[in-house]
Amino acid sequence: MKVSDILSYSFSAIKLRKFRAGLTTLGVVIGIAAIVALLSITQGLQETITRQLETGLATNTLIVSTSGGFGAGGQGGANSGFKLRINYTKIIDELSPDIDVSAAIVQRRGWIKSGRRELATTIVGVDFAKYADIYSSTFVNESGRIPLNPESNMIVIGRRVNDPWKNETLFCNVNDDVDIIWTNTTTFPMENETYSGVVTAVLKEVGGFGIGGPSDSSIYIPLSQAQSFFRTDECSQIIVRLKNSDKVTIDNVSKAITDAFSNQVSVISATAVLNTLTSVFSVIELFLGGIAAISLLVAGIGIMNIMIVSLMERTREIGILKALGMEGRTVLLIFLSESVIIGLIGAVIGIASGWGLANVVAIALGGGGAFMGNGAAGAGGIVITPLLTPIVAIVAFVFGVGVSVIFALYPAWRASKLKPVEALRYE
Amino acid sequence: MEIPNQVKRIRKAMVTIVEAVNLKKTYMLGKVPVEALRGVNLKVENGDFLSILGPSGSGKSTLLHLIGALDKPTEGKVFIEGVDVSTLNDNQLADLRRKIGFVFQFFNLIPRFTARENVELPMAINGLNKGERRKRSEELLENVGLKDRMNHKPTELSGGEQQRVAIARALANKPSFLLMDEPTGNIDSKAADDILKLVKRLNKGKGITTIMVTHDHRLASQAERTVHMLDGLIVQEKVN
Repeated sequence: MKVSDILSYSFSAIKLRKFRAGLTTLGVVIGIAAIVALLSITQGLQETITRQLETGLATNTLIVSTSGGFGAGGQGGANSGFKLRINYTKIIDELSPDIDVSAAIVQRRGWIKSGRRELATTIVGVDFAKYADIYSSTFVNESGRIPLNPESNMIVIGRRVNDPWKNETLFCNVNDDVDIIWTNTTTFPMENETYSGVVTAVLKEVGGFGIGGPSDSSIYIPLSQAQSFFRTDECSQIIVRLKNSDKVTIDNVSKAITDAFSNQVSVISATAVLNTLTSVFSVIELFLGGIAAISLLVAGIGIMNIMIVSLMERTREIGILKALGMEGRTVLLIFLSESVIIGLIGAVIGIASGWGLANVVAIALGGGGAFMGNGAAGAGGIVITPLLTPIVAIVAFVFGVGVSVIFALYPAWRASKLKPVEALRYE
Repeated sequence: MEIPNQVKRIRKAMVTIVEAVNLKKTYMLGKVPVEALRGVNLKVENGDFLSILGPSGSGKSTLLHLIGALDKPTEGKVFIEGVDVSTLNDNQLADLRRKIGFVFQFFNLIPRFTARENVELPMAINGLNKGERRKRSEELLENVGLKDRMNHKPTELSGGEQQRVAIARALANKPSFLLMDEPTGNIDSKAADDILKLVKRLNKGKGITTIMVTHDHRLASQAERTVHMLDGLIVQEKVN
């Protein structure tokens, strides 16, 4: 029997039971759609976060912090009394000719007060000139001017401090006088301390977040002002920019820095963060894909069920076909191709509707605003653009068709093995 | 009259189409063995019109299934055109069945197919292309007098018409012989007469070897030769 004849025979059998075939196909559609939707959202999220990170922290930068702070096990850094100090930038600058510039960051949670309104924020003390040099693409003014030799009361604010609700209802703007407040927890009782400053610049929207890099929900004050305001010579992090971003340079400089501070600091590179993120996301994808695969498995069992029912109903028909000289393997192929047709239709519709579902979810989450937002300013939302890679589409397709074939194998095999006499006698 | 001469010419060749040698078949009905055939010997020559007559339970259907290569004997041998059926595997048996034209009591047409599609089916199974199938199915349906009904589905046809479609289908692959199991058992007597006329015409006119199983004496006597079966044995054989 010709392949085209087998297919048209199978098709005629499916057409006879449209509703039932439709339900079976729906099972496959749901399974495939779940896989495609979950994976394309995850991949879109990964893509978005990766892109954010790449802009937020240049790949040629390292972040130095006390090792306890990043939980690098076994170092005991946090307990050893080691403090990362602002003037260590001078030590770091001398460590390697590959180091271009380093900048200390002093960071505290606090509030900014404009008129009668207060907004929780992160107060970041940085050397404006160095910081602007390192983050030349993100520490950029939207309005006003970032002073390279700032006076102590000058303040640069993130876009979400300027416009926290994303609706141009501004919290404060350039040239506004604002109060900066933080709670000094080293005194007893704790005390709120305040100083007055003036907004000189609003940063361009960075989007999302950046480790070490500029953030939409932070405010930036000169390093010397932060030192005196917070009464500290310690810093949270030191950002180091390298002349090259190749792996050897990153590894060498990282080692030089940790060695110089007797392993009491940890050095994180943007590349390492991205790698970690990638591996975290592959675990998430595997997990979500696995959950979705279960629904496809259920669809497969549905296919098997329907094929067995079909086998019972058509026992006599199979007997006729065999009496007319059809070989067992052709009967097998007819049953398999019925299932493959269902699988094919299910996979195609499933991929399309999964993609649609992913976009609906993305729009719903994006519109919700605060998804993955950081900081108390809260509105630094990420807009996820679902990503359907050809690999996901192909894998989903192969899975859909594959499951249909595998679960149809047993009923098809049974059909092919029916004895003609018994099949003909079947009522 | 040309036709009888033609028949005679075919007869002269005396080719054995079907031969059953000491055929035995035992079924298990639950745990009780039932001897459906207890040693049947039968020979059918090219151009024969043989009827197998017997009451229900006499083993005639079992014999038909064995001759039609639908089942295997417990003992003894069936030769179809000289080929020992017991030596064939499942695929070879399927191929062999394409050379046998089955006609069943309950027609066994595929309900979702039109008359023409039903006639085309054995040819599709045999790998003929669509053009040839169309042409031949039209000829066959015209031959059984159903040219104007060929796009109707079985449910839209009378019993007699359905059986004629079944005969056209049986002839599709130019079989070595027709094997009919109570072909008029499920249709009214007027239609039954028409069917019988058609079968005789095919046998006499085209020399198509025909084996017909029936429990109807009147019908059986229309064949050239009748064998009587009782309790799994051939008890009488006569030329009508």
